[in-house]
Amino acid sequence: MKKFIKIGILGILLVGSSCHEQLFISPQQSIDQELALNSDANVKSVLIGAYAEIRSAALYGGRIQLFSEMLGANSEVRWEGTFNQPREMYNKQIFVNNSYVEATWAAAYRGINVANNVLSALDVVNEADRGRVEGEALFIRGSMLFELVKLYAQPYVAGNTSTNLGVPIILTPTREINDDSYVSRNTIQEVYQQILNDLNRAESLLPAVNSFLARNYVVAAQLSRVYLQMERFADARDAANRAIIEATANGKSLVPVYMNAFNNEVDSQEDLFTIQVNPQDPANDMFTFYSLPQFGARGGDVSIQAPHLALYESGDQRLNQFFFDAGEQRTAKWRDQFRNVKVFRLAEMYLTRAEANFREGTSVGATPLEDVNRIRLRVSLPALTSVNIAQILQERKLELAHEGHAIHDVKRIRGTVTEGNNSFTFNDPRMVFPIPQREIDANSNLEQNEGYGG
Amino acid sequence: MIFLFNKLCLVNFILNQTIYHMRKVLLLVFVFVGMLLHHEAWSQQRQISGKVISGEDNDPLPGVNVVIKGTTRGAITDLDGNYTIQADQNETIVFSFVGFTTQEVVVGNRGTIDITLSPDSKTLGEVVVVGYGSTTKGDLTGNIASVKGEALSTVPVPNFQEALQGRMAGVFVESSSGKLGEGVKIRVRGTTSISGGNDPLYVIDGIPMTTSGGIGYYNPLADINFNDVESFEVLKDASAAAIYGARAANGVVLITTKSGAKGKTKFNVGIQRGVSSPTRLREFLNTSEYVELMREAGYNYDRLNFGTDPINNPSDYPGSELEFVDSRLDRYSGWADWRTGEVDTDWQREAFNPGAGTLNVNFSASGGDDKTRFFFSGAYDKQDGILIRNDFERISGRLNLDHTVSSKFLIGANFGLSRTQNNRLADDNQFNNPIQLVALAPITPIRDLNGQLYDRPTTTYYNNLIDSENAQWLNTSFRNITNIFGEYKLLEDLKFRSEFGVDIMNQNEEQFFGSRTNLGLSTNGYARSRWTRIFNYNTNNYFSYNKVFNSVHNFEAIAGMSFQKSDRYFTFVEGQEFPLDELRTLQSAAEITGGASNITNFSFLSYFSRVNYKYAEKYLATLSARVDGSSRFGENNKYGFFPAASVGWIVSEESFLKGNDQLSLLKFRASYGLTGNAEIGDFDHLGLYGSASYALIPGLRPTQIPNPNLTWERTAQLNFGLEFALFRDRITGEFDFYDKNTTDLLLNVPIPATSGFNIQRQNIGRMQNYGFEIVLNSVNVAKQNFTWNTSVNFARNINRVRELAPGQTSIPPSSSRFLNGVFIDQSIGVFYGPAYAGVDPANGDALYYANAERTETTNDYNEAERMFVGDPNPKFFGGITNNFTFKNFDLSVMFQGVYGNDIFDGGGGFFAANGDWFDNSTRDQMRRWQNPGDITDIPQARLGECNGCNASSRYISDGSYLRLRTLTFGYTLTSSQLEKLKLTSVRIFFTGQNLLTFTNYRGWDPEVNADYLADNIFQGNDFYSAPQARIFSLGLNVGF
Repeated sequence: MKKFIKIGILGILLVGSSCHEQLFISPQQSIDQELALNSDANVKSVLIGAYAEIRSAALYGGRIQLFSEMLGANSEVRWEGTFNQPREMYNKQIFVNNSYVEATWAAAYRGINVANNVLSALDVVNEADRGRVEGEALFIRGSMLFELVKLYAQPYVAGNTSTNLGVPIILTPTREINDDSYVSRNTIQEVYQQILNDLNRAESLLPAVNSFLARNYVVAAQLSRVYLQMERFADARDAANRAIIEATANGKSLVPVYMNAFNNEVDSQEDLFTIQVNPQDPANDMFTFYSLPQFGARGGDVSIQAPHLALYESGDQRLNQFFFDAGEQRTAKWRDQFRNVKVFRLAEMYLTRAEANFREGTSVGATPLEDVNRIRLRVSLPALTSVNIAQILQERKLELAHEGHAIHDVKRIRGTVTEGNNSFTFNDPRMVFPIPQREIDANSNLEQNEGYGG
Repeated sequence: MIFLFNKLCLVNFILNQTIYHMRKVLLLVFVFVGMLLHHEAWSQQRQISGKVISGEDNDPLPGVNVVIKGTTRGAITDLDGNYTIQADQNETIVFSFVGFTTQEVVVGNRGTIDITLSPDSKTLGEVVVVGYGSTTKGDLTGNIASVKGEALSTVPVPNFQEALQGRMAGVFVESSSGKLGEGVKIRVRGTTSISGGNDPLYVIDGIPMTTSGGIGYYNPLADINFNDVESFEVLKDASAAAIYGARAANGVVLITTKSGAKGKTKFNVGIQRGVSSPTRLREFLNTSEYVELMREAGYNYDRLNFGTDPINNPSDYPGSELEFVDSRLDRYSGWADWRTGEVDTDWQREAFNPGAGTLNVNFSASGGDDKTRFFFSGAYDKQDGILIRNDFERISGRLNLDHTVSSKFLIGANFGLSRTQNNRLADDNQFNNPIQLVALAPITPIRDLNGQLYDRPTTTYYNNLIDSENAQWLNTSFRNITNIFGEYKLLEDLKFRSEFGVDIMNQNEEQFFGSRTNLGLSTNGYARSRWTRIFNYNTNNYFSYNKVFNSVHNFEAIAGMSFQKSDRYFTFVEGQEFPLDELRTLQSAAEITGGASNITNFSFLSYFSRVNYKYAEKYLATLSARVDGSSRFGENNKYGFFPAASVGWIVSEESFLKGNDQLSLLKFRASYGLTGNAEIGDFDHLGLYGSASYALIPGLRPTQIPNPNLTWERTAQLNFGLEFALFRDRITGEFDFYDKNTTDLLLNVPIPATSGFNIQRQNIGRMQNYGFEIVLNSVNVAKQNFTWNTSVNFARNINRVRELAPGQTSIPPSSSRFLNGVFIDQSIGVFYGPAYAGVDPANGDALYYANAERTETTNDYNEAERMFVGDPNPKFFGGITNNFTFKNFDLSVMFQGVYGNDIFDGGGGFFAANGDWFDNSTRDQMRRWQNPGDITDIPQARLGECNGCNASSRYISDGSYLRLRTLTFGYTLTSSQLEKLKLTSVRIFFTGQNLLTFTNYRGWDPEVNADYLADNIFQGNDFYSAPQARIFSLGLNVGF
């Protein structure tokens, strides 16, 4: 009988040791980080991962645009939805735990981290593609820093750029959490300098043809926005002009009928850069909040108010975007589901060039009048014979209305936003997002913005 | 309708079949009994007589059943306790009486047999299942709570977890809402983990069950028909649980299914039917109140923001907020006129199902002979939920067999199969959660003049009644839990047992949302099909040794190994663009919009051993240990060691107490040991990149920071126990004190999002749970026709987070709408946020305390001081059961309660926000501030201004409750009645569930945990969560 016991014990140990191998199981939906950055193909996949981040609803997938429209509502549009997060922005009474404010912050830094991962592994990328890959990653990082600094810090034109706090600049990928992870905010000046460094290098590296991903003229368009914020009009003019030249040389032009420039499943000839939306990847928060249930959206959370409609001249084809439904005026710019989210349209570049040329007294590329009339003629408005700055800005406002420009144009021209009896000047702290409470809690090195307690 | 009819047919069919078989069986029984009687006439029978007295008061006991074992020959004692019966000298007489311990006596050559029956109470001889074996209550040195399946058999709930509520000390059970088929939270002696799992390990007949990985909020434990369960044991302290090592820190629930016993085949048939309704409803505004509040909110906005008065100055009206409100009221009124109050819709009522009810039909047979024993059962359970579109149906069968091959060799198998179908509902946070109908305005008619359901823009939000007509969501689960075992006696004292078991869960979910639903509106319908299969197999192989040396040293030991592996396969497809709403499967979708498949696995390899030693029936000691290795642990920590030790001293066996009637039992026990928690996610130790596509181009992105040191959480637990029995076991009790310290907490440490990550999982931090448990059982009355027993269990658990990451003092609330956070020296999930200070009487502003001392207030939410404003963890919980029998009637009344917890009503920001937006409000909002000097707690109505609508203590209320959880009243037929019917037992009963609730909670039901939020930290939240069901049911059980 002892024999049986010995065999039994031996058996148990044998089974056990063979099972030991079974304790080493690899995941089947993820790969180890060592593998992810070890080959040309993998690094390029990670680059697509960076686009997937900036594409999210919290960023260019719609909320970046929505936030701007809500902060700059100016009694022209109105938040009527049940969600508090956009309503707080609309009310200019943002709570430090606003979950949209928190999500956009986190998503932007995720995008930056993915871009930094790509930038850290350029040496394994094929030499022929290395510049392009670097350029795309820099475009993503520079763009995210730009969006963050516009929302979470005082505008550049508020002055004191070397003391006013911007956002933390992160230039290395996160491999572990250590003391360096507990960053502080850089100044506005530092952040803008980093944005210029990233975007200028990106523009020099990128080709003009790169499907719907970052191209040299897309980066130039982004640079023109950066320079406008900094009131460096000559640089803005030149960047817009470069964007126009490169884009038109590569088949871009204004769509003849204004409303055909919207609700596109594929990029129109006017689109310089959009977020690609399809039924597999449907997020488009401008659609979600601006459109109506019968188109698959929520209840029509944003309505257009009479003071906005009054701004248009009669006969302006841009009035065609407005329709009455669910008891309110709506804009059809975001009407349909599964349509790309506009980030840059060519029309913006003409208007930027016109404004910057006018302010600089130059006619680089075209005269301000030519550029403005180009926009007016398309929407069946009579050509002007002369323009002033107010007319250029008005044309810009109407042409780009409801596309995410509202607050950023108000701030850079030191304007005001009026809601009911309340007016908010361009540097009003209530038009700056709080640093999310979660971030303050997780990182005591971060300083909160003015007007947000702590 | 046809669907329903089919279901009824099925039930009828089952019933008819059952009755048909019953008749056949009865016929067989008669024939058999007849033969037996005939045979007996030839045997050597004599007349035996005697008297039965109660051991309690030495009074005679009338009505005692006196039966010859294995026959139907019987007698009943008369008023003086006397009986006479015919018996052979080899036969055994069984004396049984409700409330007393049954006694058996071999006749022998006696002519008079007098018997003293002692009152039934918890006895030391009660068998208790432990890990890899069983022991007796008297020999236990650990803490195990045990409930017999019989006690739960008529509780009309879909899963055994809810049935266990209030029955075990220190075992907290909470069902998340009144939705059927969703998860139930069980916490054994508190919450040990912040980021890992906190559910106990469930082991059924030796197999660690699959309890997660199902689709959606599906509860895999609902697949178990608890009528098949012999007993539930919950291993609470380290001594009892450490044999399950790395997975035992949250306690272990052992489920033992019934087995057959040698003897006549016993049949049992039961049917039970009930009607259900919500425990409680809330009050919402009617049309006139709603119109008044909304117009006031708009008007106040005009006054405050524009300085205009559109009511008194008609010229101010155009463009005013009041005009906007009126236009919205027009829109929401549809064909009706809100000005005349033409329509007053009670949307809340529409969310509930007027035909809710329960049905249970079950059948079992058990028996066997010297060689083979069996238990066989089948059951049908159906619950029509209290919410519309929600039901649950389970068909289950079981066959448990064991066979004695030889005196040395025993083999057996337990085979369980079930199919569960659940018409599911969206989570609490979705517009198509029926309860969210309460947000719609009372001025809105349900249907338009053509009879079509109104939707937006006429309804404020999606009218989810459309889902009832135009959607379906069916979840089907097939579950097979089977094990086979063999046990071989190697030596007289040494056995080897080998078990192999599988738990196969095969689940699929078919969702269709038609072209009128909010999910399918713009896409001509939307459908999704999800499948998952979890194959979980386990083998246990162990020796057990049992020997008594010198008749005082009693040794028991086990040693062995087990291996478990689980493979989960998951697939889904979704699509849209359906040609018509009648075609509901993805075959008809013109556009497939998504699909994925994934595979995940984990494994455990373990070695375990336990030694029990008992000296002279007085001194007890147990040592146990387990080594666990798992695929879930990092390279540097593959294996863990979990030892435990315990001792016991039965003082009442000492000579100075032995035979003492006043103190019939006194036992001390103490244990200490280490257990682990390995519920940490399968690959948390790796640094990972996951897929991320953009514009249909595949991509990768970092998803997880590596941690090669990641390992299980360690819980060291100390337990002191005292057991006693007084007055010849009239009163028995247990008192336990425990202290559980969990270190190396698996913590999702919040890190700056600027790193690109929000959290990192680390073994860091410490949590403590300490408290006490009291169990008391008493036999209050044990008279001939009347018995009354009481059992009470009561527990106090104190949970404290003791350490987090170095330098970290808190994990503040991560949501803007909810307040749960983690703070050192506070309970997990404590509510932290602004403290509501009421309303400024001067202007109606909502106020918050601006400082921790609560001496200053502010109307600016951002300036409010954040502080601890409530605790979702109960201070005390327990249950009290009173069982009465009077003649053939029995009554069982079980109250269950929790005390000292708070609930945050997260929907308050929408429906209790003084008319902040167009959601309908609860009626208490009419107490809003209106004029300077008003003293109230509801701020002034201001449209869209969020005057007090933010998350704060305003929405916290006391969640304590006491509930009449289960009441059962039954009548059992007397022996003489049974004799006429030729049946062995017949019982008719009424069972009521949740009949009464006493609480100060302001919401629907204080037993709540919003499903989409529920986790370790987010607890005690209500968010449009359905109340629990109140059930009245009638049942019949027949045995033959």
